[in-house]
Amino acid sequence: MRFGYAIAALLLVGCGSAESRTSITVSAAASLTGAFTEIADEFAAAHPDVDVALNFGSSGQLAAQIGDGAPADVAAFADTAAMDTLAKAGLVDESDVFATNELTIVTKPGNPSGVTGLADLKGVVSLCVETAPCGKFAAQVLAAAGVTIPEGSVTRGADVKATLAAVAEGDAVAAIVYVTDARAAASRVDEVEIPAASNTVAEYPIAVVRNSTNAEAARAFRDAVVSEGGRKVLSAAGFGAP
Amino acid sequence: MNRPAVALASAAALFFVLPLAGLLGRVSWGTLGADLSSGAARDGLWLSLVCSVGATVLSVIGGLPLAWVLARMRFPGRSLLRGLALLPLVLPPVVGGVALLSAFARRGFVGARLYEWFGVQLTFTTAGAMLAETFVAMPFFVLAAEAGFRSIDTRYEDAAVSLGARPFTVVRRVTFPMVAPSLAAGAVLAWARALGEFGATITFAGNIAGRTQTLPLAVYLQLESHPDVAIALSLVLVVVSLGVIVAMRDRWAV
Repeated sequence: MRFGYAIAALLLVGCGSAESRTSITVSAAASLTGAFTEIADEFAAAHPDVDVALNFGSSGQLAAQIGDGAPADVAAFADTAAMDTLAKAGLVDESDVFATNELTIVTKPGNPSGVTGLADLKGVVSLCVETAPCGKFAAQVLAAAGVTIPEGSVTRGADVKATLAAVAEGDAVAAIVYVTDARAAASRVDEVEIPAASNTVAEYPIAVVRNSTNAEAARAFRDAVVSEGGRKVLSAAGFGAP
Repeated sequence: MNRPAVALASAAALFFVLPLAGLLGRVSWGTLGADLSSGAARDGLWLSLVCSVGATVLSVIGGLPLAWVLARMRFPGRSLLRGLALLPLVLPPVVGGVALLSAFARRGFVGARLYEWFGVQLTFTTAGAMLAETFVAMPFFVLAAEAGFRSIDTRYEDAAVSLGARPFTVVRRVTFPMVAPSLAAGAVLAWARALGEFGATITFAGNIAGRTQTLPLAVYLQLESHPDVAIALSLVLVVVSLGVIVAMRDRWAV
């Protein structure tokens, strides 16, 4: 039994060992995966004492996590509505829009089904769940174009990356994703533009989470994102300026 | 000696009980009936039932001969075969889904021919969801069935043969009654695993309401939009799974 106590003691000591390093968690929309990974690398180089953990998912999911008390320090979403929900609940400080994005259709390389626009979306189409901004915007875009896709031919991805993967890896005929995801997927998909008349502009807000235990580092990360360097990374990934 | 063991055991038990208690605390009992009869919930329940039962049948059909060969025949590569058959037990289900895609998707080396020759597409179909569940559930059946076949003293079968029983009679009257409990336990375990399958299903079969959106997928995706429905469905999964495990423990001492 002495052995058991030894293990318990070791566990306690392990948890208690204090570190002088600061670590922050950034909860960011899945569409920011590439850009934020790069920004975080640059941030880490400039702030060697701060560890940045990136948590990507659908903005709706991330907002729900933060609402449930998940320990995030910075929130960056693909939709101002998700941020407004948190702001109303008093969970985040003031937010800034730091990027914009638009939607596009992606198909398999070579566009084997000959998709030329929203009206051609027949067969299984991959869309984001309606609680993710990309799902909400896709519904807006389809409605604006007067196109209805029966729910029985829609496979729903939990976030934009999963939605795109159903086309790139799976057998979905097409997906509606952000322009930036289509660009990040490069040759794995072909892109079919959605005309500006029915397209929608997504605004990306960023904010420091109010109960952040490392607010200073969190603010520094937010500043890095809205800085000129951050803008450069974002525009290289295809994001528009606010 | 006993007291610390009991204390540590209680801590471990609490670790399992507390999350479940938390779940129970979040159930909105007043609307439970309505939550479970909402469209997405009903579709998910029905689909899960169909897919998990289908996957169990496929697991038994495929797993029975596999378990028998593994238990009774000696051949080079048997360990490797067993390893392959049990691999989905330890493989992350999403990896299983990706592997299934590379074989059975329209561009996969099997899927391409299935489509070309028979016009069959497995991805995004209920059959595909069943296949994904079978992939992760069959090892549970194979494991239990192989152990069952191994535990039989083959002298009973030899005795039956020496008394003039034909092979079919030996299987029916001697082998089957002795392995039946193991087969039943394996089938129930496989069914329970299929019922809870998430990663391989969403990766391979997609997430189409009424077609491939099984209970675990519905829970995951309703959690944001309709948390009450998600919790109600979770409760169903917990109750069913717990019931299965408790019943198994009493009857077959797994």
